[in-house]
Amino acid sequence: MTTAINIPLEHVFFLALILFLIGAFGVLIRRNIIFMLLSLELMMNACGLAFVAAGARWAEPDGQIMFMFILALAAAEVAVALGLVVQLARRFETLDIDRAEELNG
Amino acid sequence: MSVATMFQAGLPYLVLTSGILVVMIGVAIKRTHAVAAVLTIITLLVTILSHILAYGALNDGVVEITSLFKVDGIAYLFNVLFLLAALVVAFLGSEFLNQRIRFKEEFYLLLLCATLGSIVLPASVHFASLILGLEIIGISLYAMIAYPEKARPPLEASLKYLVLSGVGSTALLFGMAMIYAGSGSLEFAASLPADGSIEGQYLYLIGNAFFWSGIAFKLSLVPFHIWTPDVYHGAPSIVTGFLATVSKGAVFAVVFRYAIEGNVLDSGSVQLALTLIACASMVIGNLLALLQTNLKRILAYSSIAHMGYLLIALLLVESNSAFGYETVVLYLIAYFLMTLAAFGVVSVLSTHQEHELNTIDSVSGLFWRQPIAGVVLIVAAISLAGIPLTIGFVAKFYLFLAGIDGGMWFLIGALVVGSAIGIYYYLRIVFTVIKKAPDDSEAFTGLPWTGLGILTFLGVCMLVLGIYPRFLINLIHNVVQIAGF
Repeated sequence: MTTAINIPLEHVFFLALILFLIGAFGVLIRRNIIFMLLSLELMMNACGLAFVAAGARWAEPDGQIMFMFILALAAAEVAVALGLVVQLARRFETLDIDRAEELNG
Repeated sequence: MSVATMFQAGLPYLVLTSGILVVMIGVAIKRTHAVAAVLTIITLLVTILSHILAYGALNDGVVEITSLFKVDGIAYLFNVLFLLAALVVAFLGSEFLNQRIRFKEEFYLLLLCATLGSIVLPASVHFASLILGLEIIGISLYAMIAYPEKARPPLEASLKYLVLSGVGSTALLFGMAMIYAGSGSLEFAASLPADGSIEGQYLYLIGNAFFWSGIAFKLSLVPFHIWTPDVYHGAPSIVTGFLATVSKGAVFAVVFRYAIEGNVLDSGSVQLALTLIACASMVIGNLLALLQTNLKRILAYSSIAHMGYLLIALLLVESNSAFGYETVVLYLIAYFLMTLAAFGVVSVLSTHQEHELNTIDSVSGLFWRQPIAGVVLIVAAISLAGIPLTIGFVAKFYLFLAGIDGGMWFLIGALVVGSAIGIYYYLRIVFTVIKKAPDDSEAFTGLPWTGLGILTFLGVCMLVLGIYPRFLINLIHNVVQIAGF
C-alpha cells in the first residue's frame, strides 16, 4: 500500500533553489570546463525538481513532462559540449577555461 | 478547430522538418557540397512559399494547434523574415565553407535545424514549446559557432556561449517552474497566479525575475551581456550574423507573445525591471562600443544597444499592443537587414584571406579597394546609426512614436542619449571606409559574385525601404489588424 507523504511545496522549492545556487556558484567559480558542465547539469536538475514539485501541487502530469524535456535537453547539450571539450583538449592542451582565453579586449 | 485546418496552418513547420530529413539523408548517401547547398536553399524557398498556402487556413485570423501553438499572421511574418535571413546565411555560408572548411555539408543541417527552432518560437503560447524552440536554436548554434575545425577562437566562443546560454536556459526553466507552481498552467494565457494568496504572488514575482533574467541572457541585455563580444568575435562572421539576427529575433518574438498573452506587464515590478534593463542596455551598450577597435566587437555592443531599443516596443504592449507589435516587426526587419549586411561584408571580404578580418583597420579605404562592399558597409553603418533615408531611421522613428504613445519619457531620454553616442562609432566606421586606402593595402579581387550580389540586394533594400517605407508599413499594419490586435 502506498501512502502519499505531504511535503510542503516551499520545502521542495528551497531545496531546488539551493541546488540551483550551488550549480550557479560552481559555474562561476570552477575553471575546469568539466566541472562547469557538471554544475550546469546540477542547475538543470534543480529546475527538474522544481517542475516535479509544481506538478505535484496541481496533481498534473505537466510538471513531469517538462522534467522529461529537461532530461532530453541536458543530454543533447552535454553531447555537443563533450565534443567541444575533446576539441579543447586537443587544440589548447588544457581543460582550464582561463588558460584557453584568447578573446578579449 | 478541424484537424485539416491545423495541418494546413502548420504546413511551414512540416515542410521545413521534412526538408531537414531530406538534406540529412542526402548527406548520408553522398557528401556533395553543391547538392547539400541546393537542397537547403530549395527547402527554405519551399517553406517560404508554403506560408501562402498556410495563410488560407487563417479564416478568423488565428488557428490554435493544440495548446502549444497559436498561429496567426504575425507569426507567419516573423517566420518569413527568419527564413529569408536563413537564406542569406545559406548563400553567404556556402562561400565561407568553400574557402576554409573541410567537412561542409553538416553546416546546412545545423542551419536548417536552427531555423526550425526559430520559426517555432513566434507561434509559441506554452512554456514547453518556448523552451524546445529556444534549445533547438541554441544547440544547433553551439555546433555552428565551433564549425571551423582548426582555429582556436571559434572553439572558445562556442564553449563560452554553451555555458552562459545554458545558465540562461536554466534560469528560464526555474522561472517557469515557479510560475507554474503559482498558476497551475504552463500556458502563457493562464500564467497569472491561480489564487490571490500571498504565496502565489511571491511565486509569480520570483518566477518572473528568473524568467526575465534568462531572457536577458539570451537577448544579451545589460547586465547579462558579458558573453556577447567574445562570442561575436570568435564565431565565423556569417554565423555571428545568424546569431545576432535570427536567434535574437526569435526570442523577441516569443517574449512578445508572453507579454501579450500573459499580461505580464500589468505587474509594476516587472515593468520597472524591464525599464531599467532597457535604459542600461541602451547607454552601456553604446558606451562600451566606443572603446572597441574590432569591427565584430563594435557590432556586438551595438546589438546590445539595439536589443535595449527594442524593449521600448515591448513595454508599449500593455497600453497599445497593436502599435507595439507594428513597431517590433518593423524594427526587427530593419535590424535584420543592417546586421546581416554588416556581417555579410566582413564574411565576403574574408573570402581569400588566411584569417577572418576583424579589426576596423582592415576595412580602411574599403570604398576604393572594393566599392560595392564599401558602399554596403557605409549604408549599413548609417542605417544602424538611424540617419534619414535609410530603414534604420524609419524604425527608430517608430520607436520614438512608441515611446511617446506609452508616455515613457525616461526611456526616450535613454534612446536619445544612446543614439547620440552611437553616431560617433558608426560614423567612425564610415570614415574609415571612405578614407584613402593605405599604400600597402591590396585590392580585394576575385570576390564571389553571389556574395556581392546578396550584399547589393541588402543595401538596396535598406535604401529603398528607407526612402519609401509605406509599402512595408501598410503590410505590417494590415497583418497586425487581421490578427486581431
